[in-house]
Amino acid sequence: MIEVNGIRKRYGDFVAVDDVSFSAGAGEVIGFLGPNGAGKTTTMRILTGFLPATDGTASIAGHDIHKAPLEARRATGYLPESPPVYPEMEVRSYLTYVSKLKDVPRAKRREAVDRALERCGLTDVDRRPIGQLSKGYRQRVGIAQAIVHEPQVLILDEPTVGLDPNQILEIRELLASLAASKDGETGHTIVLSTHILAEVEALCRRVILIRQGKKVLDQPLDEITRDGGSLEAVFARLTLRGDVGDEVASGSDAETGAEG
Amino acid sequence: MRHTAAIAGRELRSYFTSPVAYAVLVLFSLLGGFFFVLQLSSFNAAVAFYQQTQQLQALESVNLNDYLIFGFYQLMWLVLLILVPGLTMGLFSSEKANGTEELLLTSPVTIWEIVLGKYLAAAAMVTILTAVLAALTGIVFFYGDPEPLQTAAGLAGVWLVGLAYAAVGSFTSSVTRSPLIAFFFSVFLLFILFMLGPAADMGMAGATGSEADGVLRVLRWLSSEGHFNELTTGLVDTRALAYFGFIIGVFLLLTKASFESVRWR
Repeated sequence: MIEVNGIRKRYGDFVAVDDVSFSAGAGEVIGFLGPNGAGKTTTMRILTGFLPATDGTASIAGHDIHKAPLEARRATGYLPESPPVYPEMEVRSYLTYVSKLKDVPRAKRREAVDRALERCGLTDVDRRPIGQLSKGYRQRVGIAQAIVHEPQVLILDEPTVGLDPNQILEIRELLASLAASKDGETGHTIVLSTHILAEVEALCRRVILIRQGKKVLDQPLDEITRDGGSLEAVFARLTLRGDVGDEVASGSDAETGAEG
Repeated sequence: MRHTAAIAGRELRSYFTSPVAYAVLVLFSLLGGFFFVLQLSSFNAAVAFYQQTQQLQALESVNLNDYLIFGFYQLMWLVLLILVPGLTMGLFSSEKANGTEELLLTSPVTIWEIVLGKYLAAAAMVTILTAVLAALTGIVFFYGDPEPLQTAAGLAGVWLVGLAYAAVGSFTSSVTRSPLIAFFFSVFLLFILFMLGPAADMGMAGATGSEADGVLRVLRWLSSEGHFNELTTGLVDTRALAYFGFIIGVFLLLTKASFESVRWR
C-alpha cells in the first residue's frame, strides 16, 4: 500500500530526511516515532505530496508520488500537525468543500460527509463554525477531512498533541475504529506519528523510529516487547546515545509488508 | 476545472461571512456617491459659469461624458487602487496562516486550479463593484443624454483596471502570510505601476537619445494610466485590451510560481 524507497530531503547542507525506506501493507498501522526534529513531519509531507523529495521514490496505493501525484494524493488522507481548517466555515460546509477537492463524486458527497461526521462524533456540531469549537473537536474535524474521501492510506501527524486525557482517549478510540477492518473490508493503512508511546502500544503493530533523518528501527511491536523489553527503553536507547551506527534492526518488515 | 469552481465558491462565501466584502462594498458605495455628487456639482457650476459669462464655445466643450463621467471614473479608479488590495490581501496569505495551504497542496488539485479559483472570486467582487458604478452612472441617463457606448467603454475600463489590480493583489498575497503586508505591498506596486506613465513623460521631456526614448516608451506602455484614459474616453482598442491581458497573465503566473515555491525550498 505504501512503498518508500530511499527518500532523501536536503535543505542546503542540512539533510532532513536521509535515505529512508519502508513499506506498509494494506490495513497495517505503523507508529512513526522519533525525537523532535528527527524528520518525521518532513517524511510525511513528502508522502502526501506537499514537498518533493530531493532523491528517492515512493508510491501510495501503486501510484508514484512524483510521476502520478494527483492519483497518489487522491488515495491519501492527511492530518497535518495543526488541523487545516477555516475558522469561519461551518463543519458541514467545510467537509463538503474538502470532499469536492478530493474528487468525491457529486452523488456520493452528502453520504460521504455524513459518514465522516458520524465516525468522528461531529454530527451534533455540524452547523457550528469551526473557530468556535474546542481544540479536541477541531482535531476531530481535522481527522474527518482526512477520511471524508475514504482514502486507502491515512497519514496522521501527531493527532493527539495538545489534547486533554479524555480527548486523547476519544481520538485513540476513533483511530482504532479506523484501523479495524469492517464489513469484510480492510481498514485504512495508517502512518501515525506521535510522542505518546502508550498510543503506539495501543494502536500500532509495527514501529519505525527515525533519528536525525535516518531510520534506526523498523520492527513489529510484539518482537520489541516479547522478551520483556519496553518501547520506552528502546526509544531511549536508540535516541539518547551518541552514535547511530549499525543499530538498524531490520525486522520482518519485508515479509509482512505485502503489496496492497 | 471543477476544483476551480469549488475554490472560487468557498472564497466568495468567506468574503461574505467575514466583514471584508461588506466593508469594501460600503466604502466603495460611499466614496462613489460622494465623488459622484462632487463631479455633478462641479459640472453644474461649470455650465452655470459659462452661461453667465456667455462663453458659448467653452460651454459646448462641457458635455456629460467628457466632463462628468470621465472625471468620476478617474476618481473611482484611484478608489480601486486602495480597495482591491483590501479584497485580495487574504486570498493566499490566510491559507498560509491557517495552515490550510497544506490541505490545498495535498489534495488532487493543480496549482492553476487553486490560483484561478481564488482569482475568479476576487474578479467576481470587482464585477460587483463595477455594477455599483454602473448603477450610479445610470442616474445621469435619467436626467441627461450621455453617449451610451462611450460610457460603456469607460465602465469596461474601470472593470479591466479592477481585474488587473486583482491579479497584482493575488501575487502580493501569495508572497507573505500576513494580509496586512500583502495589502501594503500591493498598494505600493499599484502605485508604482500607475506612476510609471507620468514619470516616463517627465523623462521624455528631458531625454534626447533614442535609446532612452525606447525605454521610456516601454515604461509609458507599462503604466496603467494611459490605457485607462483611452478606454474612459470611449476608445476601445486592442492595444489597451492586450495591455490588461498582459498584466493579468504576468501576475497570475507570478502568483502560481510564488504559491508553489514552498515546494522548491
